[in-house]
Amino acid sequence: MTDAAPTTVEALAVRGLTKTFGDGELAVHAVRDVDLDVGIGEVVLIMGPSGSGKTTLLLMLGAMLRPSGGSVVVDGIDLATAPERRLPTLRARHLGFVFQDFNLLSALTAVENVELACNLAGTLGKRAHIRARELLERVGLSHRLDFRPDQLSGGEKQRVAIARALANDPKLILADEPTANLDSGHGRDIARLLRRLAREDRRSIVIVSHDDRLREVADRVLWLEDGAFGELEHMPVDPVCGMAVDRGTAVSAEVDGELWWFCSGGCSTDFRNRHQDAAGSTP
Amino acid sequence: MARRVALARRNLFQDRRRAALSIVGVAAALLLVLVLEGIFAGAMQQVTAYVRNSPADVFVAQEGARTMHMTQTALPPDTVESVAAVEGVAWAEGLRYTTSIVDAGAGQRTAYVFGYDADGRGGPARLSAGSSPGVGEIVVDDVAAAELDIQLGDTVRVFGAEFRVSGLSTEGTNIVNTTVYIRSDEFADLRGDSFAYVLVGARPGADLQVLVDRIETAVPGTTAQTRAAFVRQEKMVIRDMTADVMRIMTVIAFLIAVVVVGLTLFTTTLAKLHEFGVIKALGAGPGRLAAVVAAQSMWVVVLGLVVATLTASVTGLVLEAATPNIQVSIEPESILRTGLSGLVAGALATAIPLRRVHRVDPATSFRRPQ
Repeated sequence: MTDAAPTTVEALAVRGLTKTFGDGELAVHAVRDVDLDVGIGEVVLIMGPSGSGKTTLLLMLGAMLRPSGGSVVVDGIDLATAPERRLPTLRARHLGFVFQDFNLLSALTAVENVELACNLAGTLGKRAHIRARELLERVGLSHRLDFRPDQLSGGEKQRVAIARALANDPKLILADEPTANLDSGHGRDIARLLRRLAREDRRSIVIVSHDDRLREVADRVLWLEDGAFGELEHMPVDPVCGMAVDRGTAVSAEVDGELWWFCSGGCSTDFRNRHQDAAGSTP
Repeated sequence: MARRVALARRNLFQDRRRAALSIVGVAAALLLVLVLEGIFAGAMQQVTAYVRNSPADVFVAQEGARTMHMTQTALPPDTVESVAAVEGVAWAEGLRYTTSIVDAGAGQRTAYVFGYDADGRGGPARLSAGSSPGVGEIVVDDVAAAELDIQLGDTVRVFGAEFRVSGLSTEGTNIVNTTVYIRSDEFADLRGDSFAYVLVGARPGADLQVLVDRIETAVPGTTAQTRAAFVRQEKMVIRDMTADVMRIMTVIAFLIAVVVVGLTLFTTTLAKLHEFGVIKALGAGPGRLAAVVAAQSMWVVVLGLVVATLTASVTGLVLEAATPNIQVSIEPESILRTGLSGLVAGALATAIPLRRVHRVDPATSFRRPQ
């Protein structure tokens, strides 16, 4: 899974993180008392079913959503209690973001997208331009500097987005489904790129994803369900989509005397059909 | 100052058709103001042409009369000698003047009628054809002559008397009226021997303001003004007469500019709302986002002003060619004033888009754009 162990020094320390929407009987506990330490250079993959609280957790880690309780400490700064007016600066200088939909600014070229993030982090003028070029060269896009997003492939867009996330030289990168909109080949490339950045630059990366391929590059895989981390090691894996599933909520089916667990009825049906086809084709 | 990525400009010109429409819309609003101001500035140039072109350094009128327009002034004939005797005066000449009608048979126009000594300094600045008026003769402005189909040698009626056209002058016709010149003694025969003004030439090196004060003291019942002051007063009268119209048209143009810039910014901002959320997520504060929206507004206004100024200049030339009695003068102060009004309109127009941008949640960057 990994080629070098991360250090134990923490880039991110989360304690008792809680987010509750609404109150009284209508209260929804999206994240419940979560603790999480991410070491320098560590890649942590957070998986879980839809509605498990992954995005809410990521928003709080990214200083975009105020927690109801707990702390989120990055670079020694508690984002949970930082004044509202400081949050944009904290995001611009301490955090890198990689989004599912790439979220490149459509009017800007690849190099300008990265340069803008440099500007927001306080680097201006020629220095910002040079840094943006260097970052794009690093992610293998030196031949696409002046291309606009609509002229780039999905994989190239995500590389630009990763270069942008590096613009402020953050210790922590938060990635939301970074491979979701990519085919398997490009998805693997992006996963390896994230791994390389973590190893070479000693950056910590927290990835929220459904994509099982990302397990390959993660130092640790955490399972979030109903707003709390579960024990992934003890969870069965859906044989169709590869997702770890909770026995309490998963669909189970016995096939040829063996019990299988699935994330959904669709995967279960898919598995049975494949099994029957395989059995039918056997002479 | 170190350069930042020109996000505002890129956002605005990403959809070039929309940007072009916005710029044209703003330009149309500003053009309205520029052309109107140009026409009025041109009219002021025309109206003050006689005074500006006069060789007189000081104009003396009846006490309290400070303009030619909307004013009646009468000075006793001996005022000329009294003024000429004042220390510092090199020469003094009486000028007869009143408003009347020049009737060419086929048509007529309101005219300022000047009565001057044919060998004196009160006549037209330049003749484009013919000669100064002799007995029973008149000089008519060439633009009015063309309008009324008057040729040299034709007969026109002024003060109920007939005059033969001996010459054509220039720069004497405006939207409202024209100017004609007859001999001073004939003017006196028809309208009495008082003078309207005394034209005064100062001795070389004389302080004109001191001279003005001296004349008013030495010749009671008069008001003296330098040529520059006289021009200023004339312009002020025109401005006062047209201020309401100008104000209304300027307000209309201003509102059009606010609406056009506002709609442009609003549609551009709405189209980019998700991206503004992304920029916020990346760490842009409210000031940076406001600067992007404001810069977009400024681009629209500045380019609109450039287009409006160029179009106004061309429109002016076309108008002047089509209507010779209209002069369009696009002055730098007018461009500056209109541009500043446009920027204020642009600033007002950013209010609603800014509110939308301010309210956008950076967390939207984690959701698919709708």
